[in-house]
Amino acid sequence: MNVLSRMLPGIVIALAGGFLVVEAMPYREASEQMHLADFGRIPVVDGGRVKPIDTLARTSLLMISNRQTLSEDGRSIAPVQWLLDVMTSQLSDRSPADKFRVFRIENIEVLNMLGLERRYGFRYAIEEFGTADKMARLQERAEEAQKRDPKERDVVDANVIELAQRLQLYIDLARWQNLLIVPPAKPDEEWKSMRSALVEEKSKGGEDRAFRSIANIILAYTKGETSVFNDRVAEYHHELEQRVPDLEATTSFEAFFNHFAPFYQCSLLYVAVFMLVCGGWLTGMPALNRSAFWLALLTFAVHTWALGARMYIQGRPPVTNLYSSAIFIGWGCVLFGLVLERMFPTGVGNAITAMTGSLSLVVAHHLASSGDTLQMMQAVLDTNFWLATHVVCVNLGYTATFVAGFLGILYIFRGLLTRSLDRGALKSLGQMMYGVVCFALFFSFTGTVLGGIWADQSWGRFWGWDPKENGALLIVLSNALILHARWGGMVKQRGMAVLAVAGNMVTGWSYFGTNQLGVGLHAYGFNNTLAIGLTVFWATQLLIIALGLVPVRFWRSASAMQAPRPMRPSSPVAAGKPEFAPVAT
Amino acid sequence: VIEEAAMTKIAVGSPARPDQLPVEERARQAKPRAFLATWLAPLASLRLTVVLFLFAIALVFFGTLAQVDEGIWTVLSKYFRAGIAWIPLQVLVRFGQVFLGVSPTAHLSGSFPFPGGWLTGGLLLANLLAAHLVRFKLSWKRSGILLIHAGLVVMMLSELVTGLFAVEGRMTIEQKGSSNFTEDFHSVELAVVDRSDPKMDDVTVVPGTLLRRRGRISDPALPFDLQTVRYMSNSAPSRAPEALSANVATAGDGLSQVMTERREAGGADTDQALDLPSAYVTLFEKGSDRSLGTYLVSLWWSALEDRPQHVKVGDKTYDVCLRFQRRYKPYTIELLEFRHEKYLGTDTPRNFSSRVRLVDPERHEDRQVLIYMNNPMRHAGETFYQSSFLPGDTGTVLQVVRNPGWLMPYLACIMVSVGMLFHFGLHLTRFLLTRPAQ
Repeated sequence: MNVLSRMLPGIVIALAGGFLVVEAMPYREASEQMHLADFGRIPVVDGGRVKPIDTLARTSLLMISNRQTLSEDGRSIAPVQWLLDVMTSQLSDRSPADKFRVFRIENIEVLNMLGLERRYGFRYAIEEFGTADKMARLQERAEEAQKRDPKERDVVDANVIELAQRLQLYIDLARWQNLLIVPPAKPDEEWKSMRSALVEEKSKGGEDRAFRSIANIILAYTKGETSVFNDRVAEYHHELEQRVPDLEATTSFEAFFNHFAPFYQCSLLYVAVFMLVCGGWLTGMPALNRSAFWLALLTFAVHTWALGARMYIQGRPPVTNLYSSAIFIGWGCVLFGLVLERMFPTGVGNAITAMTGSLSLVVAHHLASSGDTLQMMQAVLDTNFWLATHVVCVNLGYTATFVAGFLGILYIFRGLLTRSLDRGALKSLGQMMYGVVCFALFFSFTGTVLGGIWADQSWGRFWGWDPKENGALLIVLSNALILHARWGGMVKQRGMAVLAVAGNMVTGWSYFGTNQLGVGLHAYGFNNTLAIGLTVFWATQLLIIALGLVPVRFWRSASAMQAPRPMRPSSPVAAGKPEFAPVAT
Repeated sequence: VIEEAAMTKIAVGSPARPDQLPVEERARQAKPRAFLATWLAPLASLRLTVVLFLFAIALVFFGTLAQVDEGIWTVLSKYFRAGIAWIPLQVLVRFGQVFLGVSPTAHLSGSFPFPGGWLTGGLLLANLLAAHLVRFKLSWKRSGILLIHAGLVVMMLSELVTGLFAVEGRMTIEQKGSSNFTEDFHSVELAVVDRSDPKMDDVTVVPGTLLRRRGRISDPALPFDLQTVRYMSNSAPSRAPEALSANVATAGDGLSQVMTERREAGGADTDQALDLPSAYVTLFEKGSDRSLGTYLVSLWWSALEDRPQHVKVGDKTYDVCLRFQRRYKPYTIELLEFRHEKYLGTDTPRNFSSRVRLVDPERHEDRQVLIYMNNPMRHAGETFYQSSFLPGDTGTVLQVVRNPGWLMPYLACIMVSVGMLFHFGLHLTRFLLTRPAQ
């Protein structure tokens, strides 16, 4: 038992490390298959930046079908293969692109309009609804909806517009519209589309080798000539290395990043951390909590690396849109959790790490459906200095407020449902909440004011009372309220826990809610499902607040909370150890 | 010292000593330190602070919701720069519509009073000052708190200064053209121009606020009297048959085009649209009731280019147009080049920039400046920001702001941040040092 408990953290880390290595292992097709992964590393310009075709394939598929994977007859198809099929669908009759069930159509009225049956997964192939008359009807209906004031559009309007946009994207891909794929031959030239490269070759004469190579690759693909395809792709990469050496490195890195999907792996590992923490609390085995801490640390390292990788690819500070803010807030919450665990090794910090880490990554995953998460910034936002200061500070403020809220939730549940909330736990949770709220106030205040200064720099108005600014102000005010209520003796630990949960609601409002009202420069994410998600979130927080207000005599920890001295160590996890002992032994 | 008191209590966990009791307790126990203190004690209470925070939170929340229906400037003056805000019940319906699935057509009339921004902010300021007067004590431990609160006072005052004295305008300059005035997009004026003198134009303006009041306007400088028939804060051209048949215009361009009322642009709108007011005004011969006709004047005909209407009074012809209120400057700005860069292969703007030449004879200045996003030009107490551009990149629109308090937030930010770092840092180190002793 003793040996096992001493070795357990090591075993957990080894397992998790092995899992990560397997996931990160570059995927290679057998030599007799088409080297699609190599093709995926070819650079293109899309949405204003150079990216590997692999990214284009994944984001396009995500925008059309709401997910990044595709399977047909139980066989999974790589996004890049799907894209190749779409891109060759106008060149070859053999392309199966129109048969893939990728278009997600949920609305029953839209389905009826296209004469489709409702089916599990809501995904349909173009050949099922792509007849000329149905397309014309869809087009007409979409134009009608587009003309309507956005505030007066109903669900059908929204769905029709969405479907029309997805179809447009598909058609653009099939026609190679706006696809700048031919790299500049000399540094001062621009990227070209296949068409303009062809036109240029005809008018100016000479031979653009990149253009020829791509054409040959596509030709080999349509003919199904595996070895020719592989040779051409390898040749083209060789040529790219000489033509644009730096580019080849970054696009390859991004393709690897896509393949590894570090944030997805992290969310799995955070769930594992959570299970270890729960196991620790249920069994009272300190080794489980120690393992949870080390696993959390490993996962945090991957999370940090992934955050850094995004910064490297984009050349920007970590937060540039709603998706990246979710990832960053998750990262900050995990950091807070780890620090708290180090200061109070009771499992509370680990629980925060696990819950916030996995939840934030799940939220981020759902925010990614609008396409490329590394898109370019609008002109006014194109400043690394303010993105790095204002945006990072504000997001750290959100982070700390959420952490305080989760501590409040833990406090309420532990007190109400278990007997473990004794004087010691009470005190340490109170200290944690207090400290975290102080952090929250500092970052939210500084971040908000820095935002004001940015606004003053860019359009001469320090404070405009716009919805997002007001949201940030609400966070500052609510944190200040908590601290002043505590200082004035109006609330004790329980009151602070309840207020901190209310702080979750305020943060939810300013993070997602203000975007729902409509718009402005800050409204980088308008999304109806978010409104529903937020309502559900508020309902749960209200419920928890109500539970927190249940008189203490009904709490299961009532007697432990009122005991004059700590009866036993604050947590089973820390049994037999002084509270301040370092976690690592 | 109440902040430390609460903190030590948590950190050390020892039974509370009298000097660690909450402030209200202590105020009751302690002998009145001064006559002033006894009077100020209720105003200095932390309970009041917390209650005011609650009110402030509610006000900001309502003021945000109100922006679904009303323009940001309307909300600003009704909620945040007001003593009492009358909050329509409809804002709650709006919240329900977005988040709770309330029917989009639901409507609640009526409103309720609520402490507005001036009142809540003023009380918070009074509460803060009173607290420091009553409990003032200079010590290292308290210096962080003092600095934070002093910074907050600066911040609140800066919002006051901005609210009272800041002036915003826009300067539109066409490519290779120049300008010596700014326009205020939030107020309009009716300009009557006499162009008979070849050397200079004689301009008389009637402020939009007067037009709104609908009374008869008569002034020696005006060649006619006038009365507003209808004023629309935001308008749009209409071809609807019912609008055409109800046309009240009897002369000028209003005979062929009709404007109808339109909802004011909201602060939460996507397009950040401008309000374009229009008005139907009847002109009278000076001092008589003989009508010269009812004219339609509209920003639609002057927002981008001047398209005045000609009114003949006696043997003289005047140009009449409704335009954004202008402020003339002692300097001229010439647009040398406007650039609108886009990201490769997209329509997403990457940068806007204006290379301008500033000529100010009064200050003997003549220089070239490049104004671009996040990089304004400062001159003579005014700041020029790249704000927008004319359709087809044919010119630039600069935001021109004069705000005497623009430096105050910078100062406040530094004070509060340093104060918090010091105060919380002090507690954190003390907490970490005392912990192993438990």
